[in-house]
Amino acid sequence: MAVTLPEGNLETRLSRYLDGFNGRHGIEDSSVEGNLVLVVVKPGDLPAVLTTARETLGILHLSFITVVDRRGSFELTYELLDLRGAQVRVKTTIEGEEPVIGSVTGIYPTANWHEREAYDMFGVAFKGHPDLRRLYMWQDHFDHHPLLKSFEISTRRTFEGLR
Amino acid sequence: MLGEERRTEGTALTQPASGRLASPDIRDEFGLETIDMNMGPQHPAMHGLLRLILELDGETVVRCDPVMGYLHRSKEKISENRMYPAVIPITDRIDYMNNMAMEYGYCLAVEKLLDVEIPPRADAIRALMNEFSRIMSHIPSLGFLLLELGAFTPILYAFRERERIQSIMEEVTGARMMFHYIRLGGVKADLPEGMPEKMWEYIEGLESRLQPDFIDLIEGNEIFIARTRGVGKITPEKAVEMGLTGVPLRCTGVEFDVRKHYPYGWYENLDFDVVTDQAGDVEASYRCRIGEVRQSIRMIKQILQSLPEGEVMGDMGRRIRPTEGDGIGRVESARGEYAVHVVSDGSDTPYRVHYRTPCTVNMQLLQEIVPGHYLPDIMPIMGLIDPVSGAWDK
Amino acid sequence: MQTVLNLLEAEPIRLLLSFALILFLVLNLAGILTFAERKVAAYIQLRYGPNRVGPRGFLQPAADVVKLFTKENVMPHRADMWIFLGAPIAMFLPAAAVWLVVPFAPRSVVADLNVGVVFFIALTSIGALGLIMAGYGSRSTFSLLGAMRGAAQMISYEVPLILSLLGVIMLSGSLSFQDVVNSQSGGFWHWYFLPQLPMFITFYIAGVAEARRVPFDLPEGESEIVGGFMVEYSGMTWGLIQASEFASMALVSAITATLFLGGWQPPFEFLDLGNFNWLWFAIKTALIIFTFQWIRWSLPRLRMDQLMDFGWKILVPVCLIWLFVTAGAMLLLPSVF
Repeated sequence: MAVTLPEGNLETRLSRYLDGFNGRHGIEDSSVEGNLVLVVVKPGDLPAVLTTARETLGILHLSFITVVDRRGSFELTYELLDLRGAQVRVKTTIEGEEPVIGSVTGIYPTANWHEREAYDMFGVAFKGHPDLRRLYMWQDHFDHHPLLKSFEISTRRTFEGLR
Repeated sequence: MLGEERRTEGTALTQPASGRLASPDIRDEFGLETIDMNMGPQHPAMHGLLRLILELDGETVVRCDPVMGYLHRSKEKISENRMYPAVIPITDRIDYMNNMAMEYGYCLAVEKLLDVEIPPRADAIRALMNEFSRIMSHIPSLGFLLLELGAFTPILYAFRERERIQSIMEEVTGARMMFHYIRLGGVKADLPEGMPEKMWEYIEGLESRLQPDFIDLIEGNEIFIARTRGVGKITPEKAVEMGLTGVPLRCTGVEFDVRKHYPYGWYENLDFDVVTDQAGDVEASYRCRIGEVRQSIRMIKQILQSLPEGEVMGDMGRRIRPTEGDGIGRVESARGEYAVHVVSDGSDTPYRVHYRTPCTVNMQLLQEIVPGHYLPDIMPIMGLIDPVSGAWDK
Repeated sequence: MQTVLNLLEAEPIRLLLSFALILFLVLNLAGILTFAERKVAAYIQLRYGPNRVGPRGFLQPAADVVKLFTKENVMPHRADMWIFLGAPIAMFLPAAAVWLVVPFAPRSVVADLNVGVVFFIALTSIGALGLIMAGYGSRSTFSLLGAMRGAAQMISYEVPLILSLLGVIMLSGSLSFQDVVNSQSGGFWHWYFLPQLPMFITFYIAGVAEARRVPFDLPEGESEIVGGFMVEYSGMTWGLIQASEFASMALVSAITATLFLGGWQPPFEFLDLGNFNWLWFAIKTALIIFTFQWIRWSLPRLRMDQLMDFGWKILVPVCLIWLFVTAGAMLLLPSVF
């Protein structure tokens, strides 16, 4: 098999991941809990941290990207799996109403549609994304980002401008 | 709209595979043009509502751009405005071919926040129903694959099996499709009287019918082999890079199954194999699905042989208010890794629910591997991914 | 009475009358075959099929026809009207006209042309024209793709179809269907499917392709181009296309029975029914139609490139080789033939 999956004890792997992150980057907060490595980073460092995860630590799989609108700031969760029992959760917080963060499509190509979805639903702009279009909503005449907390469910406003 | 999207440059990822295409020189010399074709959203082979914007050079696809959102029902927004138990029926409608896994993922996520003890019998019943649900999804998907290749008969055999499982499910859960059976803290109700025997009988029957009704009908067929072998070929590197999970990943030879490698619930106690295949094409995915049905049968037998006694519902209290924090539930649905991320702020309703549906991620494969294939090859490739409209659109 | 019969025997009236009769037969055949198709499909798929209209659903074709006639005929706004409307007729008429030369019983053939086989080949080729008209006139990408596939397929499979007929023509020494049938008399071991087995199989396969049935129904390609050339048709224009498809299926079966299975010849001589020998012809044709339907409901569809490969790289060489074998055998063993 051409793909090398991590082997060995789960505990040693988890501590290796944690050391790997701590040794290379200025991590704001990090912990190990069960099979989960939790890393909190500054938004500017995020692509670099994920590059470390992919290239140095060999964590192959990006499971999903969750954006949470904290009313004034956006919390992004990148969930990585090494496909053999360990989870790595990278968290970052972007302040402000118009969030911008570096894209990770160059590191994990699967992030392509995850980022398109996040852009569609929250208006988070991913710098360096090859094809940042809306994934679910109308491409034209629709200016809202529906999962924002400020977006109230109202038929008339949602369909304004659309026929 | 079409014109505007044409102006958008193709992504760096969507370079057409060379080989079968006319070379640019020949195209210029003879003044050949490509045709734009809009496949879907209303199209019999699109597994629901999917629109593919295709650029064709004769019958060869040069560019494929999936457009989704025609069945978007704002599941995530609706979930934010409902109380925790009331979200479960919403999750049912995400992947309507394999609803049990959808419920299970959400319940696992919330239970992580609640810190509640699940009775062992409830755990076993959850796994049991999940495996039935997987069979209910895998067997029709074989039928769909054949239907899209032009053979009409296997799907009727497949739906006969699905109907029989639905009758069992109806007796257990009260519904034929949208079960709402797995609840926070356990399951809705215990199995009815005599149900384990009935399930055993059905599973034995299915095991004996699998060979004559499906494998003999499909496997040795020359045309089936010609249409599927080598079509939609994915390398393991590519599969991992694209974040594929489920059968599309396993048919390339990468062994990854959430049930095995991130075990949850009763699956820790079960003995089963992760079915993999080396070829990574449509035929391999067919073999993987058949293998998984066999494994599901094996698991159901194990569960029925050692079904623990006791309660089926944990002590939940009347009002469900999880602690603040993140809860992630991850299960293996019939289509791959399905994860639910619930963010709680300590109130009655979730602050944010994110569903990671395997179909959405696996469908990225379309713009990757379809270019370079012939137009009729899109259908078996759809059968390889086996997406469900409700699941990719949420 | 006798004068009326004599009048009917007189040439222009006889031809017109029998052509009307043939048209009636073919249109009814289409109805009966839709019903048969659905019943066979149901039998293969373990269900009942149509069983509500009339006793055991026998009146279903009539209900279908009433429905099709009362349905609005929708035409795409930008379609080419005359081509669009002419296409179903251009498809149906050749399929119906070939029945003129098919011998039903010892003396029952509308026109015993001495070039019947050539007539058959010429008219089935025209069927492709209607298909291209339908696909081109609809002005839709799906139709155009269907028409392209249809044209390529019909023209390619014309070659093995014609080549596989040559052996029979060589053996019987005539281009007339009546002569071909007569030369197969005397028990089933005299039928041409035995000495011409590879040709028979080739003709059968090419015939399936000519009739555009699964596994060669690429011009329709239901799952990818949703009906192909006929995607824009509705109402009776669609009905006429369907009728022509069923008529050409029946036609291919009838020609196969005539050329290779002895036509109206009984399998054993003591089973000779005299003027009622058309029963043998009907049974043979019906059996071949059933095999067509059997294939239709159990096999998937081929892809365009595989279809072309199969036609040109397998069927044509097989025909050519067997043509030489037949010719050599006739040259070396003249006593047998």
